[in-house]
Amino acid sequence: MHTSAIEATNAVVTLDVALPGVVWGWIITMNMWAKSIGTGVIFMLFYLLKKYPNEAGYLRFPLTVISIVAIHVFLFFTVIDLHQMFRFWHIFVYGHFTSAIAVGSFLATGFVGLIFFLAYASYIKKDNALFDKVLTWTMLLGIPVTLYTAGLMAQATARELWQMPTEVVQMILAATLAGSATVLLVGGKLPYEAKRDMAVVLGFSAFMAFLIYMSEYIFGPMKAEEVAATLEFIKGHGEYTTMFWIGQVFAFIVPMVLVTLSVQNKSTGLLNLAAVSALAGLWVAKHVWLVIPQLLSMS
Amino acid sequence: MHLGFLVDLHLCMGCKGCEIACKVENEVPLSTWRLRVKYVDVGVFPETKRTFTPLRCNHCANAPCERICPVSALHYIENGIVNIDKERCIGCAGCVMACPYGAIYIDPETQTADKCTYCAHRIASSLMPACVVACPVEANIFGDLDDPASNISKYIMQHQGDVQVRKPEKGTDPHHFYVGGGNIHLNPLASKRNEGYSLFNKLTHLPVGGHH
Repeated sequence: MHTSAIEATNAVVTLDVALPGVVWGWIITMNMWAKSIGTGVIFMLFYLLKKYPNEAGYLRFPLTVISIVAIHVFLFFTVIDLHQMFRFWHIFVYGHFTSAIAVGSFLATGFVGLIFFLAYASYIKKDNALFDKVLTWTMLLGIPVTLYTAGLMAQATARELWQMPTEVVQMILAATLAGSATVLLVGGKLPYEAKRDMAVVLGFSAFMAFLIYMSEYIFGPMKAEEVAATLEFIKGHGEYTTMFWIGQVFAFIVPMVLVTLSVQNKSTGLLNLAAVSALAGLWVAKHVWLVIPQLLSMS
Repeated sequence: MHLGFLVDLHLCMGCKGCEIACKVENEVPLSTWRLRVKYVDVGVFPETKRTFTPLRCNHCANAPCERICPVSALHYIENGIVNIDKERCIGCAGCVMACPYGAIYIDPETQTADKCTYCAHRIASSLMPACVVACPVEANIFGDLDDPASNISKYIMQHQGDVQVRKPEKGTDPHHFYVGGGNIHLNPLASKRNEGYSLFNKLTHLPVGGHH
């Protein structure tokens, strides 16, 4: 619609300030990607210990360590993205709780405390009962930790593409996708049934996430002028068209296909390939969705 | 008291006096702007005209920047101005993402968010904002929206039906109005941006107090 209006008026900006460009770039993509792994593995561990308590027991400590590493990667990239990173402590002193950033910081801090406690329970105290009890609370806290970034994107009033509740669903699907993919890569000794369950989670997450992206891709422009203008960057000869489809193919389409084939053939090799593809593709898919609304002029 | 701005676009002639006054008053660094005048050319030669639109922070009553700021660096003061505490700002750029008017930028020297404050420091001394003083045609009208006798309130009453805000659909309740504006002036998607519209691209900033 806006294109025809421009054609009618032939309105051209002849003097203005430069566009600010991408303010939240690959550092924020790393942030979201690492957080998906950090909370996702906790969700998967919770499921596996409920369904396969004996066979999956050995994963308590390794998955806790992976969660600790991933969450610290997330925290590291969160802090280095700040233009005044040494003022990070201001959030804890001057916290403004209408902001998803402030709320998320406190939630993430609590989550870090709990995963360290899990490491203590499994490695030092070697108390599985205690671990499982704390894991329940860690898993529950992991849900808002996963979702608060969606709240932040929803609060970015300027960026129409980032809608609630779509982003909430995408965040939780990213966590289940990344968590199941990571478990498939590190859970070599798991019985086939457990791996098949992880594969189903991976395939279902990929399918749902792809469905939502495609829904927005096709129907988003019919609802809002800004969304239509934003999606032009990933359509036709758009600046991010190739990257968008690379992300969609590797994050969602390849895992869906490989999971289907592996379940039919009982092949775990294909699952490893699906997991690697999903993890790499997720970064690309997240990055494109993060960047394109920032290319639009706001004024 | 709720202070507000109104720009009569019938009067604005694009002299950029307000821009320069703002730059000088607030020591706004190179390549960044608290206030600027956008030029948009409309039509096909010889039937063309140039439009001028001064753009600044809208000091919204429901400001997304204030809501998203994790440390209340962006905050309201009693007169309705959305002010910024640069000492508290952590530079997360959440406000840059939230502002639907592109009015907030990261100051390249202080590495904190910055924007128009309606010259809050001048108002505290009972002075008008620098841009209002500098405008040669009095296109900038500033005052208390709660006071029916103020110039801005009278202007809004006199021009009912021709008073607009930018992006009303965002629900931000801006305290910045335009008279005589159209889609071209107020909607950034209503005009093309071809290469070369900006004079000041890719400037390199020396770090404060140091050299490369």
